[in-house]
Amino acid sequence: MNTTLELNNDLVYTFLQHFLREEFRSSGFTEASIALSGGLDSAFVLKLTVDSLGADHVHAIFLPYRTSSAESRRDARSMMEFCGLPWKELDISAMADAYLALQPGIDRLRAGNLMARLRMAVIFDQSKRENALVVGTSNKSELLVGYSTWYGDMACALMPIGDLYKTQVRSLAHHVGIPEEIIAKPPSADLWAGQTDEGEIGVPYETLDQILYLLVDARCTPDEVAAQGFDAGLVDRIQHKILTSQFKRVAPPIAKLSQRTVGIDFLYPRDWRA
Amino acid sequence: MTYAVALAQINPVCGDLAHNVALHVEQTKRALDAGADLVVFPELSLSGYVLKDQTLDVMRTPDCAEFAPLRELSRHISICAGFAEEGSDGIPYNSAFYMEDGEVRHVHRKMYLPTHGMFEELKFFGRGRELSVFETRLGRLGMVICRDLFHPLEVSTMAALGVQLLLAPSAMPARGFEGDTLAIEQTVALALGSASTFLGMFVAYANRVGFDDGLGFYGGSALSDPMGGITVAAPRFDEDLVVGRVDLSHIAKRRYQLPIRREEDLAIVRHALNGGRDVS
Repeated sequence: MNTTLELNNDLVYTFLQHFLREEFRSSGFTEASIALSGGLDSAFVLKLTVDSLGADHVHAIFLPYRTSSAESRRDARSMMEFCGLPWKELDISAMADAYLALQPGIDRLRAGNLMARLRMAVIFDQSKRENALVVGTSNKSELLVGYSTWYGDMACALMPIGDLYKTQVRSLAHHVGIPEEIIAKPPSADLWAGQTDEGEIGVPYETLDQILYLLVDARCTPDEVAAQGFDAGLVDRIQHKILTSQFKRVAPPIAKLSQRTVGIDFLYPRDWRA
Repeated sequence: MTYAVALAQINPVCGDLAHNVALHVEQTKRALDAGADLVVFPELSLSGYVLKDQTLDVMRTPDCAEFAPLRELSRHISICAGFAEEGSDGIPYNSAFYMEDGEVRHVHRKMYLPTHGMFEELKFFGRGRELSVFETRLGRLGMVICRDLFHPLEVSTMAALGVQLLLAPSAMPARGFEGDTLAIEQTVALALGSASTFLGMFVAYANRVGFDDGLGFYGGSALSDPMGGITVAAPRFDEDLVVGRVDLSHIAKRRYQLPIRREEDLAIVRHALNGGRDVS
């Protein structure tokens, strides 16, 4: 089933550039804001956005907390250099610590979500300063299993890689020449020392993406996926993650009262500009 | 008879009639300058595609004042363009008009409105229920809109009714990025190929480009010739205007070379559709 995830990278990259250019043009923006983490997704989105809009129109910033790893800073810096952007960093430690001091005993999941939402607040404020749109870096794998913070790293104006699985992003990153050390390192939200996505989700992305592909794109039942040689317990866990994270992928339900209710029968395209 | 057909692969602004009419006027003049006798625009080219509730705001009758510049230009060049039609029954239709000699000669209402997955056309539009076959200065034309083209019974019937050139304004979103060409391009190539190869018709396929809410239309507009296959094709993703030639003698040549049409016995079909009983 591996071949099903292979894409024509040239064609996809061209299409995504058209997508970004048109979305910016149609919403009346020329500038883009991107929060760089040092990881692969934001590295690829940065390169894509720079190739689409030009380096002069892209405002990237690294937003570390004091426990963020040295590798994250190094890799964010090498991406900025690779794309010809000036180094920009804003440390969120003081903001975060002010709140954390009021929350003794906070667990690391809550703390991690807090960091993601503080970064969101910062990148949106920075985007306002630059009159820019925030370009999101969520990929299809994390959107489907909900491995992302609602109104945190998911918050953005556009999601250019939201229909690409992590392994597809990796392949595209190779294709556009992103530095190998960024592609090769284990994906991590870098919320605490030694954290890795694959450690937390409990499965390598290669396997996760194939199972997601079968469940979502090929519409196989969990039993049919397991019959293809995947661990049945793992398939069930992934199916469960998809179901329990559905709320993150939709707008909050509105109690319908009138004849025309926002989101239910007040229906306009996002690009509405009549 | 031979004549030149221009395919205007444009990117209309969703819901902005004034902008889109101006774009059509500009492209029609370009087609005229390029020596075209007919210009074909994409599906809903005057209104935009993902209209949703804007449908009510932008639906028009084909003889509305806004389209007057196009009717005027049609004295010099025939024009096929897509629009949200306000039916006299008060129902919006996903339609395309054919203008010639300063007037609207024909309006086709899309028969098959995809309403599944990313498509929600039946939520906003009524269904057309008639095949479009009509006489023009360029011969006998037929018209299908986007999904209609994928219905071989209707396309075959139009060939049986003597259609020489099938106009196919479309808004086909890109999807299927695995291979050398998009999966949707391969599907369209099959439809064009079967209409030209087996049925011996020319097909003028005008597809749009640009994005409406994340749906990216891939372009790839093409003229399909019974003798030559795809004779002109516009690029993927970019706006363009391409011009190809229709030589009606190719129809007879193709039907002589591969006489599917001569073999065709519609009595077999009628008999089958009549439950196996003779048709009286």
